[in-house]
Amino acid sequence: MSTEQVNTNNTSTKHLSVKRYLPDNSAESYWQEYELPVDDSTSLLDALNHIKEQLDSTLSYRWSCRMAICGSCGVMVNGIPKLGCKTFLRDYEGDIRIEPLSHFPVQRDLVVDMAIFLEHLAAVKPYLIDDNPAKPYDPTAPETYQQSPEQLARYKQFANCINCGLCYSACPQFGLNPEFLGPAALTLAHRYNLDSRDHGKKQRMAELNRHEGVWSCTFVGFCSKVCPKNVDPAAAVNQGKVEAAKHTLIALFKG
Amino acid sequence: MNKHKPQHELQHKQAFDEPLWWGLFSAGGVCFAVLLPAVILFIAVLLPLGLLPANALNYERASALLFSVPGFLFVGAVICLPLFHAAHRLRHGLFDISVGSDALNKKLMYGGAALLSVFALGLVIAGMLS
Amino acid sequence: MDKSSSHRLLPLKRNWWLKHRFFKLYMLREATVLPLVFFILCLLAGMVALLQGAESWQGWVDFMGSPIVLVLNLLALAASLFHAATFFVLFPRVMPLRIAGHSLPDQAIVAGQWAGVVAVALLFFWLLGRA
Repeated sequence: MSTEQVNTNNTSTKHLSVKRYLPDNSAESYWQEYELPVDDSTSLLDALNHIKEQLDSTLSYRWSCRMAICGSCGVMVNGIPKLGCKTFLRDYEGDIRIEPLSHFPVQRDLVVDMAIFLEHLAAVKPYLIDDNPAKPYDPTAPETYQQSPEQLARYKQFANCINCGLCYSACPQFGLNPEFLGPAALTLAHRYNLDSRDHGKKQRMAELNRHEGVWSCTFVGFCSKVCPKNVDPAAAVNQGKVEAAKHTLIALFKG
Repeated sequence: MNKHKPQHELQHKQAFDEPLWWGLFSAGGVCFAVLLPAVILFIAVLLPLGLLPANALNYERASALLFSVPGFLFVGAVICLPLFHAAHRLRHGLFDISVGSDALNKKLMYGGAALLSVFALGLVIAGMLS
Repeated sequence: MDKSSSHRLLPLKRNWWLKHRFFKLYMLREATVLPLVFFILCLLAGMVALLQGAESWQGWVDFMGSPIVLVLNLLALAASLFHAATFFVLFPRVMPLRIAGHSLPDQAIVAGQWAGVVAVALLFFWLLGRA
């Protein structure tokens, strides 16, 4: 639906099924049904807020920015990972099933424990390492470290990641083996490896060139389909395989 | 989280073999995609259906074509590399459907591909020597 | 990690790929190697037959013409084309080609690979198709 057609007067009632898990009450999760008024501008996050404020204050979910940049409102919508704020109910007919993100332990309702994702992220050192080793910062003659638009273009797409974790819920290899570093972490590793200012590739390669690094990926490609920022993690991970292969060859010749 | 620590250190092992398997998989994938459609069409469809000229692949012509240096390269590109491609996908496919252990599947699949490759190349050499 | 959250995590069941069309297509892509392996085994049998002599070569050609073998090899042909369609689009994503500082458009790389398939088919026609 194009934006011109969005109509805030076009109000209707929609039916939402939300997977509830309240560990204080019961060890089992259950489905709860909600009926709520929506118009063409109602996002899934708006709907959840409406439920929380008007219908059922016990519902738990994460959210912050409402504009697809904080990456905290990820949920499964009819089995597909989506950002609540970027998903509009006008695009859904009939049953709308909302579940917590797959492949993560559920803490409560739609809130998942993302600790393992953050561990994997930290493991690949996603920050500039020794970005100006030749010239230490001199306060009397400060010098900026320059990067040309061409050098920026090499990694720019992979720098758009917002750490929402949708790609981890889309990745069956992560679902089968949570030790797999996974799409976003491997993509950020590649993003910093491609950065002309960075000198940490060798350290990151030790993580990437493990069985649980790039080599667990089978290019299912669903991570790139669900990514709300069009980062294409599948491409980054598989470019990482090429880099890991080069790294191994070089290590072999150097002995 | 502490209980994961020793396991984590164990898993820090570099996968020196994986680049080799992936390289063979990729090369085999290119052969499977670019060469195999024509090879299957001509050898497994047109030939048995009698749609090729009578002498195109009779015994003498087929022997001359296969038992030669180009025939050796043909076997490498049409049998050996695609076998490693298949072995890689089967290994990961078995992991996907939780069948067997990956360590054993790896040995069986790549080992099988290597044995059949040696056998196929050996046949060409035997034909060239006879 | 507290106990209540960690015990909630169940590993994927082996039928996970039946849950979504995208995953079924992935499994179909991976399964293209099954008819490929069948064709390669046929080819190996043909090489053994060729080594044994003219009579067993003709026997192999007849075997290749039996309905079940022919159907399985037609399946292998379809599998090779499906594999090609899925494999060619991955190539520019895994190895983005740059010529003189400009990245080549993805469609050009995919088209180039299909041109390769056609070229190989023409080579076979030149080699085997003429009387």
